Amino acid sequence: MTYFVIFLGICFMLGVLAVASNPSPYYGVVGLVVASVMGCGWLVSLGVSFVSLALFLVYLGGMLVVFVYSVSLAADPYPEAWGDWRVVGYGLGFVLVVWMGVVLGGLVDFWKVGVVTVDGGGVSFARLDFSGVAVFYSCGVGLFLVAGWGLLLALFVVLELVRGLSRGAIRAV
Amino acid sequence: MNPHAKLICTVSLIMGTSITISSNHWILAWTGLEINTLAIIPLISKSHHPRAIEATIKYFLTQSTASALILFSSMTNAWSTGQWDITQLNHPTSCLMLTMAIAIKLGLVPFHFWFPEVLQGSSLITALLLSTLMKLPPITLLLLTSQSLNTTLLTLLAIASTLIGGWMGLNQTQTRKILAFSSISHLGWMIMIISYNPQLTILTFILYTIMTSTVFLSLAQIKVLKLSTMLISWTKTPMLNATVMLTLLSLAGLPPLTGFMPKWLIIQELTKQEMTPMATIITMLSLLSLFFYLRLAYHSTITLPPNSSNHMKLWRTNKTLNTPTAILTALSTTLLPLSPLIITML
Repeated sequence: MTYFVIFLGICFMLGVLAVASNPSPYYGVVGLVVASVMGCGWLVSLGVSFVSLALFLVYLGGMLVVFVYSVSLAADPYPEAWGDWRVVGYGLGFVLVVWMGVVLGGLVDFWKVGVVTVDGGGVSFARLDFSGVAVFYSCGVGLFLVAGWGLLLALFVVLELVRGLSRGAIRAV
Repeated sequence: MNPHAKLICTVSLIMGTSITISSNHWILAWTGLEINTLAIIPLISKSHHPRAIEATIKYFLTQSTASALILFSSMTNAWSTGQWDITQLNHPTSCLMLTMAIAIKLGLVPFHFWFPEVLQGSSLITALLLSTLMKLPPITLLLLTSQSLNTTLLTLLAIASTLIGGWMGLNQTQTRKILAFSSISHLGWMIMIISYNPQLTILTFILYTIMTSTVFLSLAQIKVLKLSTMLISWTKTPMLNATVMLTLLSLAGLPPLTGFMPKWLIIQELTKQEMTPMATIITMLSLLSLFFYLRLAYHSTITLPPNSSNHMKLWRTNKTLNTPTAILTALSTTLLPLSPLIITML
């Protein structure tokens, strides 16, 4: 089990590396998919399977699909794919950074993952994350409103930034 | 800007600041910071000029990185101690990461590079918001955790900020960049004293907010964006230029104006804590910023500009009544005799 969870972690890092090495968005999306699938797997290993399911549905099934549709509307003639020297250069650079981080952070001797889950020692009937959603709607309604306003605000800010076809913020005067 | 969008952004700014400064849980503090970052993005980019867009992108990237670091530090602390209380930040990695994250958020050296450019890309009122309101939540978080943070690191950040704020402000001709470097050097003074007497940090922040608001509002009224405009602005509003001079000298920390109070009390506290060399160094480094404040004050009250003007007053003028500026000017120049009252209130 430990080896499987470590494999999930390494594939997560590789997926993030694929995004960070600046390929064209069509190829970077592959990295995003890999990273989010491995992240969801890691969440399941911790015991919070409902949050993992919600992340899968909303992130992969909602946001990534919309992202791919919008990106496919703006095609560049010579996309930087995986074999491009710029992408390989960035990729090697980030591998070096991660290696330094692992060695200096002392993670080479921390191999005890995937054994204990978040609610492994509790006495509740419902899973921790699932009952957390119920709390979110009852006692934690203040945080619910704040989180809802934050999401709405993100929408309004993006709409304000791209308002006006050619006089919007993203395209320069 | 669209009034509805402006209303949403303003309300979200107030809401985000209130959430962060009144929170006990790290997640709520982070949420307030993110709401603030999101809400000010359209305000910075509202002129749709490429410089403003660049400033918006720089602001967003640096603040998001800092918010992510705050989240990581709170999560590391929660993983090792099992609780999310802001005042109980005990894990050493978390304390270090939080100090760096707040330094990025505030614009302390060596993470100050975004600040002058973001201020230069935004309008004067947005620059005012960026310098005063957006500094309040990070300073609150720093005040709540100040007892657990490394004193040497904070002292180093403070002295470096005062040095760079003073030194780099000397070569500027754009008023927004001058005020950005003045902000960096004032933040250095605030961070210097936070481990010894956090009340003085609060006092310095409040007085700095009053004085900076006065300068920004006065400059916005006469629309002065660079030194050469400042030279000829006395013809439009002679009284405002005189008060701008007094406020700038107050920012510089000269007695008998208000700005002397925080510097005086900080030096006294540092000396009481046996940190006299640090007090001397930070006072000497403030002399650098005194030079550009004096230059700005001189430009605002000089009556013989390089280009000749045949009359004293312009006949076509639109002087509007500006009560907040008047109140803030009075506060930022005449508060020093009330120091005993203010110290008792702290």
